[in-house]
Amino acid sequence: MNDTVGPPVSGMITTGLGTQVSAVERLRRLANWQALGPFLVFAATVLTVSLVNPAFLGGTGIAIVTGAAAPILLVALGQAMVLHIGSIDLSNASISLLGAILMALALPAFGVGGLIAVLIAVTVFGALNGAIVAYGQVPSFALTLGMLGIYDAAALVTSGSETIYVTKNRELVTALYHDRLAGVPLTFWIGVVIAIVYWALLRFTGVGQGMTAIGKNESGAIFAAVRTGWLKVLAFAISGFTAGLAGISIIAQAGSASASGLGSDLLLPGIAAALIGGTAISGGLTNPLNVVFGALTVAFVPIAVQAIGISAQAQSLVYGFFIIVVVVLTTNRTRDAIIK
Amino acid sequence: MTTAPPPVLRMTDVTCTFGSVSAVKSVSLEIKQGEVVGLVGENGAGKSTIIKLLAGILAPNEGRIEINGVPCNFRGPKDAFKAGVGVVHQEQSLFTNLTVAENIDQHRSADDILSRLGLQRWARVNRDAVAALEKVGVKLDPKTHVRDLSFVDRQMVEIARAVCIDPTAGGTPLVVLDEPTAILEREETAVLEREIRNLRKFASVIFVSHRLDEVLRICDRVVVMRSGHFILDKPSKDVTKEELFAAMAGRVSEATLRSHTRSPKNAVPAIEVRNLTRSGHYRDVSLAARPGQLVALVGSNGSGCGSLMRAMFGAETYDGGEIEVLGQRVSGWSIARAVNAGLAYVPAERKVEGMIGGFSAERNIALVHPGEVAVGLYHSPSRRLRMAQSWFDRLDVHPTDVSRSLSHFSGGNQQKVVLAKWLNSKDLKVFLLDHPLRGLDVGAAQTVDAQIRQACDRGAAVVLLPDTIEEALEMADEIIVMRDGEVTARHDLGVDAGLSVQDILEKMV
Repeated sequence: MNDTVGPPVSGMITTGLGTQVSAVERLRRLANWQALGPFLVFAATVLTVSLVNPAFLGGTGIAIVTGAAAPILLVALGQAMVLHIGSIDLSNASISLLGAILMALALPAFGVGGLIAVLIAVTVFGALNGAIVAYGQVPSFALTLGMLGIYDAAALVTSGSETIYVTKNRELVTALYHDRLAGVPLTFWIGVVIAIVYWALLRFTGVGQGMTAIGKNESGAIFAAVRTGWLKVLAFAISGFTAGLAGISIIAQAGSASASGLGSDLLLPGIAAALIGGTAISGGLTNPLNVVFGALTVAFVPIAVQAIGISAQAQSLVYGFFIIVVVVLTTNRTRDAIIK
Repeated sequence: MTTAPPPVLRMTDVTCTFGSVSAVKSVSLEIKQGEVVGLVGENGAGKSTIIKLLAGILAPNEGRIEINGVPCNFRGPKDAFKAGVGVVHQEQSLFTNLTVAENIDQHRSADDILSRLGLQRWARVNRDAVAALEKVGVKLDPKTHVRDLSFVDRQMVEIARAVCIDPTAGGTPLVVLDEPTAILEREETAVLEREIRNLRKFASVIFVSHRLDEVLRICDRVVVMRSGHFILDKPSKDVTKEELFAAMAGRVSEATLRSHTRSPKNAVPAIEVRNLTRSGHYRDVSLAARPGQLVALVGSNGSGCGSLMRAMFGAETYDGGEIEVLGQRVSGWSIARAVNAGLAYVPAERKVEGMIGGFSAERNIALVHPGEVAVGLYHSPSRRLRMAQSWFDRLDVHPTDVSRSLSHFSGGNQQKVVLAKWLNSKDLKVFLLDHPLRGLDVGAAQTVDAQIRQACDRGAAVVLLPDTIEEALEMADEIIVMRDGEVTARHDLGVDAGLSVQDILEKMV
């Protein structure tokens, strides 16, 4: 056994199969379950429903689902960006409702200018959340839970607990819901465009890379001189801005806004859509494109439940089960084998 | 009738694969009673896999493992422990919030009704712990909390835990020590070495370490691993350090003394600290590093060196004194400003602070200084790929896939990537290195070493916290010795040519 010298093996492991392996590997990574999961889940749900009730998807079915999905998608995209840096924004749905009310108040007098002013305001609300989290070192869960209450109260006060109808310039926003491209309301397309923008931001920019670094390992990011404070403010500001767009989609659909009307229960669907879209609640793993399918699924399930013929009382039961199962399926929990 | 007892460990044609990669390829090994065997090899050679096989964390795909003549089929660490294998893992695995006795008790199986119900009989737990500690030759109060112990005492508690094997198992215990000295200071290492020799009386030992002279001193026999094979197996007395190195790396050692630069005294220091103080850490420390100069800060744990270096990088605050970079006094010092000013820092806690494990290697490299990768806001994936590949070639990083997540590289290759991240700066002025060679195999250490020297030659000022005094003597132009937060000695290597390890050690303790 003494001095038995093995074959000259250094480097054999990788060079033996060379580029062949890496090409196959690349394909495998591209087509893995995590990347396609959210799409497959949505496709499977649609398929099931159309088998059980073929008439359902005919006519305006697509428009109804995507129209309902639009505000959920927008809120979820903002949430996904905040989850990406390892925080959470429980206040963004409340910001979108407050935004909707403010826009309904501002539209008659100021038109598009009013919309833009409100969008700026809600972006500042979000940035304020981020600044308190980053520089005041307040846990985002606690802070945004408190902010949720504040914005809800603000919504009630500014609307006087009444429904605010857009009396003038209404068609400016309602057109976004009623005009369609390929049978899908423009509000949803806005969400898709935003998803693509956020996807590109995360994938192709230094800013996005810094955000991912924070989500994956904040200490490591700090020691790599990533400007963690400013990026946190930015992530929350994005959440506020996107919530404002969700507000637009709410009044586009309803032609009005109220503290208890359409869009008053977006928080949990928004989080669910982000999670079904494969976003990790621990941070560092967000694909905005998949959040689109997450939002579609969340919007579609209640409709699907109805279409299949399950009683109204049991709807949220099915909905709850469904979300758990889907998140179990799409969560990335691979612990790749240690290759040494 | 006197049949010779079976070997404590016999591995026969053991193979362990992960997917298409074999980490261990058909290896065989026997260890006799009371034998201390050194296992050495570069990072990624397969040592960790061998340890995990013995610890019951992994199961072999082929071949058999026998402990004291009994074939093993471990389903988990508990089985391995019952069979008589105690493993002291590289990262200390004690629960620091529990007492010594509670830690040692972790592995004991429930053998009566009360323990099965989860109840503890403290008198017995403490008594057993004292017995286990005596066995390895240390006296500690079993009721002490582990967080209050020194590193070497903790290591001894780990060993005690590993050897207090269920008496029903019989036979000789096998103790596996995975780099037990990596985080210990010099004197502590000496204590540990003595204790390992004691273990011989009742146990067999596998000792894994990157420090070859240590292995040769402690072990009866040395086994060298490379790429999943045992390629050398010789008694320690028949083998030299150079021979081991050549077998491990498949090449000849290139270690050379660095010629000391007599830096011009009038050059403006790249970094200078004056009377820097942080209460509880260090007091009134002044030092300067000029461009092209390598200053080593030497001191044991608690000397304040690490804290001082972090303050220089803006990662910790200080109470008094000042920091100057290129003659400019800094204020509101932070990591962001330090990096802007051309500073770089390789932290000792690589996995937590030095890298983003979930990121690909290429993204880690482009994280701080994207250089030509960034076109305005846009980061070009193809340029990033090219840049990372050129670093991989230059630093000989394996495996060669730059898009692989950095957490899936071995420690040495991770450290090369961490280095590349900082060296990618066009304008590196000060390079702060906190134990950059810790836990690295000889090959990786040489690469990292060479890069540090190159950075120096290109005009960066380097401040180094070395793992060993030898490392400081080999590399530094100036050595500053610290003890309890104060500078106790300064040596200009250009002048004090005959400086010895002993001289420095005296000032450290």
